[in-house]
Amino acid sequence: MLRQIFVVSALNFKSLKSRFWQSMVIVVGLAATIGVMLSMLSVSAGMHDAYQRAGDPNRAIVVSKGADQEAQSAIARSQAPVIADAPGIARGGDGKPLADRGIQVGVPVLRKDGSKGFTTMRGLSGNVLGVRPELHVVQGRMFQPGKRELMVGVGAQALFQHMQVGDKVILPDGQWPIVGIFASGNLMEGQLIGDTETLAAALHKTAYNTVLVRLSSPDALDRFKKALTTNPALSVTVERHSEWYKRVGDQNTFGLALLGYVVGAVMAIGALFGCLNTMYSAVTNRGREIATLRALGYGAFPVAVSVVLEAMLLSVAGALIGAGIAWALNDGKQNVFGNSVFYLSVSPAQIKLGLIWALMVALLGGLFPAIRAARRPVVEALRAT
Amino acid sequence: MKYVPLVWAAVMRKPARAVLTLLSVMLAFTLFGLTIGMNATFTELQAQARADRIFSGSRFGGPLPIAMERQIESIPGVALVASSNNLFGYIINPKNRVFIQMNDEKVPKVNPEWPITPAEWQAVRDNRRGVLVSKAQAERWHRKVGDTFSVIAPVQKKLDGTTTWTFQVAAITPDISYMTQGYMFGNYDYMDKGRLLADQGKTGMFRVKLNDPSRTAEIAEQIDNKFANSSTPLQSITEKAAFDVNNTGMDIAAVDREVALAGMFMVLFLTANGIAQAVRERLAEFATLKTIGFSDRGVVGLVFAEAAVPCLLGAALGVGLAALLSAVIPRFLPPGTGIPVPTMNVTVFLWAAICALFVAFASSALPALRLRRMDIATALSGR
Repeated sequence: MLRQIFVVSALNFKSLKSRFWQSMVIVVGLAATIGVMLSMLSVSAGMHDAYQRAGDPNRAIVVSKGADQEAQSAIARSQAPVIADAPGIARGGDGKPLADRGIQVGVPVLRKDGSKGFTTMRGLSGNVLGVRPELHVVQGRMFQPGKRELMVGVGAQALFQHMQVGDKVILPDGQWPIVGIFASGNLMEGQLIGDTETLAAALHKTAYNTVLVRLSSPDALDRFKKALTTNPALSVTVERHSEWYKRVGDQNTFGLALLGYVVGAVMAIGALFGCLNTMYSAVTNRGREIATLRALGYGAFPVAVSVVLEAMLLSVAGALIGAGIAWALNDGKQNVFGNSVFYLSVSPAQIKLGLIWALMVALLGGLFPAIRAARRPVVEALRAT
Repeated sequence: MKYVPLVWAAVMRKPARAVLTLLSVMLAFTLFGLTIGMNATFTELQAQARADRIFSGSRFGGPLPIAMERQIESIPGVALVASSNNLFGYIINPKNRVFIQMNDEKVPKVNPEWPITPAEWQAVRDNRRGVLVSKAQAERWHRKVGDTFSVIAPVQKKLDGTTTWTFQVAAITPDISYMTQGYMFGNYDYMDKGRLLADQGKTGMFRVKLNDPSRTAEIAEQIDNKFANSSTPLQSITEKAAFDVNNTGMDIAAVDREVALAGMFMVLFLTANGIAQAVRERLAEFATLKTIGFSDRGVVGLVFAEAAVPCLLGAALGVGLAALLSAVIPRFLPPGTGIPVPTMNVTVFLWAAICALFVAFASSALPALRLRRMDIATALSGR
């Protein structure tokens, strides 16, 4: 049986050359479908990646009860020391708990294309690098506590105007110089950072937005959470930082991803009809050839399988071309959407998804023609011209 | 007209192939309709945006003192300033997020084009708890005029410390196209007098109307400069810029065009192949036509018509399906997604027709050339 499948398929593939342009309909159809889908998904996936990497299972975020965005949350100043005293928090070299009292506001920016937008400006406090070890200075220096100075992420530096070391950012109490550029490999690269207390004073913010702590170990979360949520003086929600960002990332990229899948689905159905068309023609044109094989003793099943295999080969080839184009055009490109800066991403996981879609199209598009090819009475097919 | 049966016979010579081609073309044009329709929505939005209006919001977030309204009005060139403050909350379940835009009494003058009558605006002034609910929102929450409902607003405490705000539907009003999820408009004064003393006298953003639309950008800058050193700096944006889709930082219109183009490319390949194959199979038939006196042009016309039928029919069906989808999809979107809905206007249909004709032309060009050059005798002999 396997040998028969092999022989019939080999025969099919050898005759592909004479059906070159027809077969290309499948290849081009799938290349366009998968290329467009992966290009669109590169936006949502890249954005999701940036969110995902901003979280860390070794950190926990404390927000006011029920807040599901940092901007909605307010932690009173008097509560911050209580939170920092809770068990389960890692300690820095100086023996102090690694707890960052953070604020965040939107700041207007001018994008390189001239359009106006917003990005996030964060106030960070305490042992900044202890809480966020992923952050490192790539140019200039770190901002100093108590000073009116800011740092800019590499993404913001690349995509917004006036974001170089030495440039000034206008805040309510005057101009703040940019003293350094940082990289962090995540969403923060599109943002500005400065000292919490100094920024809070300038922006008249009377409360913190969040407290972010480094856990002494990933399993310390439960202890930490229990201590805070059972404390009647506090009314807070505690979440693992990685889970927080996964949820926020899901929320913020859902619409974009959906759009990519809808477009991909519409095109895939279009490609499916193209595939059906090509494969029906293929089995009709090769009716006598197939009938001859059947007369020689080849079974109906190997004939059917060979038809599906041919559709799969062509579809996968198309999908790979499409994925390759999507990857070459998009992957790694720095991008800004709304107030998020991130890198477009065409990852192996997405390419795999594209191949699965292509195989599904091939399976459906090859199956019916395959059944027809296998069912056609041999004598009738041999007689047909 | 007498050639119609001939073209139809050619198209339907292999019905399965014809139907599959048609469906493929149809889907590509569905995509075309959705994407180009989306761009039509963006263009319409731009056209609706008024050149003489500015939105001024807080530069770094947070509430703005209502007294700034007067200060903005004092800038030469400014005709009128109104303010709106959104009340964010939910209805019964936190998943049912809503917001009510609480407008002051000058909003109707700054936005006279909104489909709300003076009597309806007045109803919200007379009944302080009154809200104008757009048709879409009324349907979403099954509300009729006179219904009362509560919005729980965790971030907006009332004077007594509670967070439950009650409202009554004063009128159900037509939707505003760019508020894709519908709207609810309430009385700012009701909210302001009802909240904690510390929160009173503040608003969310200002709607600025100018005397002279040619100075909008300049005045927007003046407004920002005026408050640059205050405790609440402003960030002003012209309505034209605010309604520009490129505000997101990505040229979404270009992405839409690229997607539509990819679909067209797929279809071009498909129909070109189909036509080439059909002509190859029927060379003798075309030779016969030529023999009985069809001119070269006549034969080429027949081939073009054969290609144009599935293209035009597919385009019509596809854009039709896209129109249907754009009418139906919004009903299934969760509220507040803010995803714009494609607009199927004449431009979209026109572009679809042009693209369909172009695809038909391009796909029949090579086969037509072949027919012009063919040697009738050879073709008739079937070699």
